[in-house]
Amino acid sequence: MLKGSLLMPADNDSAFLLDKHKRGLQNLDRMARYRDEDTVDLVVVGAGAGGGVLAQRLARKGWRVVVLERGTFWDPDRDWVSDEKGAGQAGLYWTDNRIISGNDPIEMGKNNSGQGVGGSMTHFAGYTPRLHPSDFEVRTRDGVAVDWPISYWDLQACFERVERELPVAGQDWPWGDPHSYPHGPHPVAGAASVAWEGARRYGIEMRVGPVSITNGSFGNRPHCIYRGFCLEGCKVNAKASPLITHLPDAIERGCEVRADCMATRIEVDDATGRVSGVVYVTDGEERFQRADAVAVCGYAIETPRLLLHSTSRRHPNGLGNNADLVGRYVMVQGATQTAARFPELLRMYKAPPPEVSSEQFYETDERRGFARGLSIQTIAPLPIGWAEHVISEGHWGQGLREYMRDYNHWTVLGILAELLPQSENRVTLADEVDANGVPVAHFNYNLCENDKAVIAFGKRILAEIWDGAEAQDTLTIDRYAHLVGGCRMGFTPDDSVVDASHRVWGVDNLFVVDGSVLPTQGAANPALVIMALADRAAGLLAEKRA
Amino acid sequence: MGLEDAAHPNPHHLRQRKGTTPQMVGRYPDYDVLEQQRHWDDATRRVVLDRVQNTPPFRFFARDEIDTLKAFCDVVTAQDEEPRIPVLAFIDEKLQGGVGDGWQYFDLPADGEVWRRLARGLDDEARKLTFESFARAPEEAQVGIVHRFSKAELSGGVWETVNVGRAWKVVMRYVGQAFYSHPWAWSEIGFGGPAYPRGYGAFGSPHLNEAESWETAENVHYDPVRDVRERGLD
Repeated sequence: MLKGSLLMPADNDSAFLLDKHKRGLQNLDRMARYRDEDTVDLVVVGAGAGGGVLAQRLARKGWRVVVLERGTFWDPDRDWVSDEKGAGQAGLYWTDNRIISGNDPIEMGKNNSGQGVGGSMTHFAGYTPRLHPSDFEVRTRDGVAVDWPISYWDLQACFERVERELPVAGQDWPWGDPHSYPHGPHPVAGAASVAWEGARRYGIEMRVGPVSITNGSFGNRPHCIYRGFCLEGCKVNAKASPLITHLPDAIERGCEVRADCMATRIEVDDATGRVSGVVYVTDGEERFQRADAVAVCGYAIETPRLLLHSTSRRHPNGLGNNADLVGRYVMVQGATQTAARFPELLRMYKAPPPEVSSEQFYETDERRGFARGLSIQTIAPLPIGWAEHVISEGHWGQGLREYMRDYNHWTVLGILAELLPQSENRVTLADEVDANGVPVAHFNYNLCENDKAVIAFGKRILAEIWDGAEAQDTLTIDRYAHLVGGCRMGFTPDDSVVDASHRVWGVDNLFVVDGSVLPTQGAANPALVIMALADRAAGLLAEKRA
Repeated sequence: MGLEDAAHPNPHHLRQRKGTTPQMVGRYPDYDVLEQQRHWDDATRRVVLDRVQNTPPFRFFARDEIDTLKAFCDVVTAQDEEPRIPVLAFIDEKLQGGVGDGWQYFDLPADGEVWRRLARGLDDEARKLTFESFARAPEEAQVGIVHRFSKAELSGGVWETVNVGRAWKVVMRYVGQAFYSHPWAWSEIGFGGPAYPRGYGAFGSPHLNEAESWETAENVHYDPVRDVRERGLD
C-alpha cells in the first residue's frame, strides 16, 4: 500500500483502517473475542495513552491481548457533541467520587481524569511536547527529587516513532533536544497571535505547536476544522487519542478491547507469587480474566488504587507495596492562567485552544532561586471555562455577567510549572466505597517551597507578557493540570514500585505502563511521554518473550 | 467585587433585538446563536435544543429549598426579571442524576448536601435580619448575605458544618455550568456555539476575512472597560 511520505508510521495502519466519512472504528465486527477462561498473553487495564500503545505494539508481535476499559467504546459521530456541558454528560470525564485534601487539594474530573476507550487523551488539549534530556537527571544536576533509571536517549527513538503516529504538528523545536515534526505548524488564531506578540516584546521566544492534531493528509483522518472543542472530544478525528491512533491497528492484529469493564482486583497465586489474572465488573456481574501477564495502565489515581486494593497473603498492603511506595509521589503541574483584555474582538473559542508555546524557562536558572522551571502555553476556555475564571476572581451578579459579555475580547496564557515529587502527596484508600464495593481514592496534596516559587515566577512572567502586549485588564486563576507518579520507576525495590523495564518489583509478570511510573515530570504535558514509555516497555517485553 | 454589584440594574442600553437572551440583555443585539442550528450535527443539536425547549422538573430539592435557592441563583447571576435561564432546575437535574464532577473536598459533604445546607444557612441569615426567609428578604439584604458568603464571612449554625469558602466554590461551579451552557447566554456574550461540522474560517489568518458571514456587530456605544470601572464592578 502506498502510504504517503516516508514519515508515515511503518508499523501502525490505524489511520488507514478508519473511514473518511464515519468517525467510529470500522473493524469492530471482526474484533477477536477471548473467553474469561482463556489464559491470554496479556491483560491491559485501561485503554488510554499507555495501554493503547502497549496493546498495539504487542498485538503486532502476535500476543493475544485483552484490554479492559471501564468506560464506553466511543463512536464520536454518535456519542460526542460540540458542547461543553454535553461532553460531561456523555461520560468523557472520570466523575466517580474521589476525596481530595491537603493544603492544596487538587480538583479532579474533567481537568485531569478521563474514561472510555482512548483514555483522557480524548479530551486533552492536544499539546504533545517531549521531555528535555535534563528531566532524567534532576538529582544529579539540581540536587532535587530523583534521577530516572533511564535517560532521554533511551526514549528518543520512541518519541520520534510516536510523533509520526499521532501525528504531531509544529514548528522546528529549538528547546531540549532540538527536533522537527512530521506535520507543519497550524495557522495561528488572533487570540494566540496577541499573546505571541506580547511575548516577543518581552524577549520571549515562542513556537507554534507541538500539537497532535492533523495538519495535512494522514490516511483517512480529516484535517482539523479549527472548531475549538478539543476538550470535548474531537468529532473530526483530527486530534489524536489511542481510540484512533493505535487501537484500530491493535484490533486488526487480534487485540480485544473490552469496554464497560471495571477492573477491581488483580489476583496473585500465593504459591508462585505470579499474578493469574484480573477480576472485573461488567453489567453488574463480577468476572475473572486469566492471563500470563498483566499491565496496569490506569493512570496516577486508579493504578495505585487498584494495586492497593489487590491485597493477598504475600502482599498484605497491596500489590507491589511492600516498601509502602504505591500511591506516593503523585505530581500535578502548576497551571496558573492569566487572561488579558484587548480592544479588538479576539473570539478565542475559534481554533484549537493549544496553539503557541515556549520552553524558554524550562531549565534551572540559579539566579531565580529555585530548581527547575516551566513552559508557557496559549489556551482558550469556552464559556463555562471562562465563567470559572471570572468566578474564581470573586465576581458574581452583574460583575460576572459583564465580564462574561466581554468574553470575545479576552485571550489566555497559562504556565505549566514543574512541581516536585513528595512522599506525602499520595493516593490512599478512603473509608467510602464505590458501587462495586471498592474503596474510593483519597488524594492528598501539598505544595513545597520550590513549587510555590516556580509558580510565583511564572505568574510574574505572564503579567510581564500582557504588559508588553498592552492589555487593558487581566484576570488570574490558580489551578493545576495533569497527574503523574504514584508508582514511580527506580533503581531498587526500596526506592520505587517498578524497575526500569516497568516490572513491579518482586512480581515477575506484573507491569505498570502509564503516567504513574514517572519519577519526575518536567514541564511538559504528559501524553507523548506516556506513549513513548509504553513504546519502549513494549519493545522490552517483546524481546524478553522472543 | 463590591457589595453594590448585584444592586446595579441590568444594563438596558444593551437591549437584545433578536432571539432571546437572559433579561433581553446582549452585547450583540442582532445575534441569535439558535439561528445557526442547521449547521450543527444531529447529536449536538438534540442536546442543546433540549436545554432550551425542556426545563427539567424539580426532583432533588424540596419546596422551601427551591424558593431559597432560586432567589440565590437569581442574585448571583443578576437575573432580576424574565426571561430567566432556569439555573436551579438544571442544578436539580444534575444533583438528582447523581453524577458529580468527580471530587469531594475532605471537609465538605457530597455536593447535593452542600446545596441543602446552603439553603438552610441562607434562611438562617435572613431570619437573623428579622426577615421571614431568604427568598422574602429585600434585594439589598439578599445581596448583603451573598456578599458575606462569597467572602467566607458567615459563621455559626449550619456554616460551622462546612468549609464556607469551598462551599462557595462548589455552588458557583454549578451555577456557572448551568447558566453558560444555555444558548441564551451564548447569544448574550456572542459565543459562536456548536461548530461541527462547519468549523471556522475567520480566526485571525490575514488572508481570510476577519469575520464569519453570520457574525453580527458588537454594541460599541460604550467602552466596557471604563464602564466596569465606573460601575465599581472591577
